[in-house]
Amino acid sequence: MSHCINPLWPCALTGAVSALSGFKGLAVVIHGSSGCYYYPATLLHRDLHSTFLVEQEVVFGTGERLIEVIEAIRPEYQKIAVVNSCVPSVMGEDIKTILEGFDVIVIESPGFMGDFEAGYHAAVRALPVRLHDELPGVNIEGINLIDPFANGNQREAERFLDLMSIDRGGISFCNDVFHNLDNVPGYFLSVNPDLSVGRGKNFGSLLGIEAITSVIRKIADAIESADPGPAEDEIRTVEERLFRASDKYLKRYDPPSVAVFSTYSYCTFAADTLKRYLDADIVYCGSRNPPPPDDLRVKKITSLPEVEGVVCSQSPDLVLGSSFEQSVAKDAAFVGLTPPIRGEVRLLSRPLAGTEGVLGLMEAVLNACMDRKKWHP
Amino acid sequence: MNLNPLPSTISRNGGCTLTGALAVTTSVRDSITIIHGPDGCSHHNFSLLHATLLDNDCMTVPRVMSSGLGEHEVIFGGEKALLNAIHRAAEEQPGIIFVLSTCITDTIGDDVAGICGHAGVPVSLIPGSGFLGGNFETGFSNALMALSDTIRTSTGPPLPGSREKNGLVNLIGEKNLEYEVEQNFAEIKRLLSLLDMRVHVRFVHKSSVNELGTLPDGSLNIIREPSLTHVGDYLQKLFGIPYVNSFPVGMTGTLLFIGETAKKAGISEEEPVQKERESQQQMLDEFSDLAGKRVSLPLLPGSPGYREICEVMDAAGLMVETGGIDLPVPIPFPVGTAGISRMLHGWRRVLS
Repeated sequence: MSHCINPLWPCALTGAVSALSGFKGLAVVIHGSSGCYYYPATLLHRDLHSTFLVEQEVVFGTGERLIEVIEAIRPEYQKIAVVNSCVPSVMGEDIKTILEGFDVIVIESPGFMGDFEAGYHAAVRALPVRLHDELPGVNIEGINLIDPFANGNQREAERFLDLMSIDRGGISFCNDVFHNLDNVPGYFLSVNPDLSVGRGKNFGSLLGIEAITSVIRKIADAIESADPGPAEDEIRTVEERLFRASDKYLKRYDPPSVAVFSTYSYCTFAADTLKRYLDADIVYCGSRNPPPPDDLRVKKITSLPEVEGVVCSQSPDLVLGSSFEQSVAKDAAFVGLTPPIRGEVRLLSRPLAGTEGVLGLMEAVLNACMDRKKWHP
Repeated sequence: MNLNPLPSTISRNGGCTLTGALAVTTSVRDSITIIHGPDGCSHHNFSLLHATLLDNDCMTVPRVMSSGLGEHEVIFGGEKALLNAIHRAAEEQPGIIFVLSTCITDTIGDDVAGICGHAGVPVSLIPGSGFLGGNFETGFSNALMALSDTIRTSTGPPLPGSREKNGLVNLIGEKNLEYEVEQNFAEIKRLLSLLDMRVHVRFVHKSSVNELGTLPDGSLNIIREPSLTHVGDYLQKLFGIPYVNSFPVGMTGTLLFIGETAKKAGISEEEPVQKERESQQQMLDEFSDLAGKRVSLPLLPGSPGYREICEVMDAAGLMVETGGIDLPVPIPFPVGTAGISRMLHGWRRVLS
């Protein structure tokens, strides 16, 4: 790795903690210093535990302290997950052996291992998931508690499954009850493919109208009791509304030039949606996590000065991203797409997934672009 | 490598040393801070600072560079990565480069001091490793001390003889992340104006390296709070500047602050203290409607701020009784008379 100014994305430890803390009944212990604990705790607003290591433990071994913390909290939980941070990881202690006899999951997720997604996936792989193909229902995957759209995405996916008359037997990765992992149906539906569980049969994602249409077809083919009618009707209505609002905008204004900065799936969703309805000129698509090598539209971007360079060189009308992008967006209109989104009050559970997600994105984009035109005609 | 002795009473959850250090270094306007560690350490900290600064209406993202340690550097050493980062930072010709070590670099044994000392450009090294070095407060204090050393290196030792009483006051260790930092600054400015004194250098709050370099021209330092007394001692040792060891808290505390500041500046205290006493009475008159209201004491005897709260309640005519209404007490305790006035507004809202 090389130096980087203002790295834009959290580390693997935060990703692992984000995934695990979504399961009620599962205690999450961050095995590291208070600094490693503080950031995920601030972002996630969940009960997290930590060994809060100090010097003598680094010198004489961290095992005793780890056991002390686990002994103290285990009466309150069904299971305990220990997430290992940088320093105990390089100390070479065998945490699994130290914790022999304890019913714990150990996740190696030190910050130097990689970024948020690497930790999230490591944690999900370590979960004791018991798949039962015969169980009814569809699981929802891709819920990420640091994502401001997490609640909205989950609700929208649940509404979508209700609309298709699918049994509510699935569970949500990662925002559910831990003991539900014992009975997981074999079908999965994603609200963010970057955070795929990698198990069972996946119907695809709810990001964008085309993706939703494909999901409806696949579910109808696979599940006999599914009713695609209401969902297909909704797609038609939503598309009409989207085209009407976009046409009205385009009668008065040129399509916006847009720079999008987010994780890969959100990036491509936003870029495709803006292209489809506004014929937007997507001048840049920058992804926090590595894009697939065959998708040349999207580039990995890791630091704030790089973002600033793109904004300066491309002068987009609209920037989609996080508060970091907003800080360098200059006169461009801005719409929040990526965590963190700060400096504004957000009370509603807005989705990006599902038809409501597409409507929400387009509503925010049209309002932001029109507001900008009013102030910068 | 452990550059900080471990206090026996160390708090396990006192926050990250890096965050404390960054609260100082990112407030030096023309500086670059390098965190020698994995990208995650830099992201976490500048993101937290960004959130806090937005609360203070500061839209600028603090500039923090990461040396970007990955698995390779953790195994084979990160010194080369640090040197690269320093050279990259130097290309931007900042007024100063800060390097903060982290838990992982101290654990793997990188010779951070050696690299900083031979980088070919001036670098200020701040010990920042979390559990090896302490907590938020330690990082904050480490940064102030390191910056003091840098200034001393560039200015040389103080001239012999007594310092000129020029009315210039340095503020040491303002809490850059606290919500009312500018209000507290304004209150200190107001109190100093009663003594015909003025703020010279804010050490450190949105200051440039050149401004900080004039710190030795001040004739008095005012320390933000007693926990930073050792920084006051250190600055006195380096530059011979006497200090007052806290911003004023409480009504009597504010009068004592004026008295002590006046004394150390060689000014008569009587008139300014009397003026402030009258201001305090005027302020209390505005809250005369609170008199007689039944309240309960929100703090236990002996806890920080207890004496000051009792004094304000007594002065405002509030009746402390069991079962009275609980009143909120800001943490940290408000600064000066203006701070007490804001607290009383909050109490009026609760009591009305």
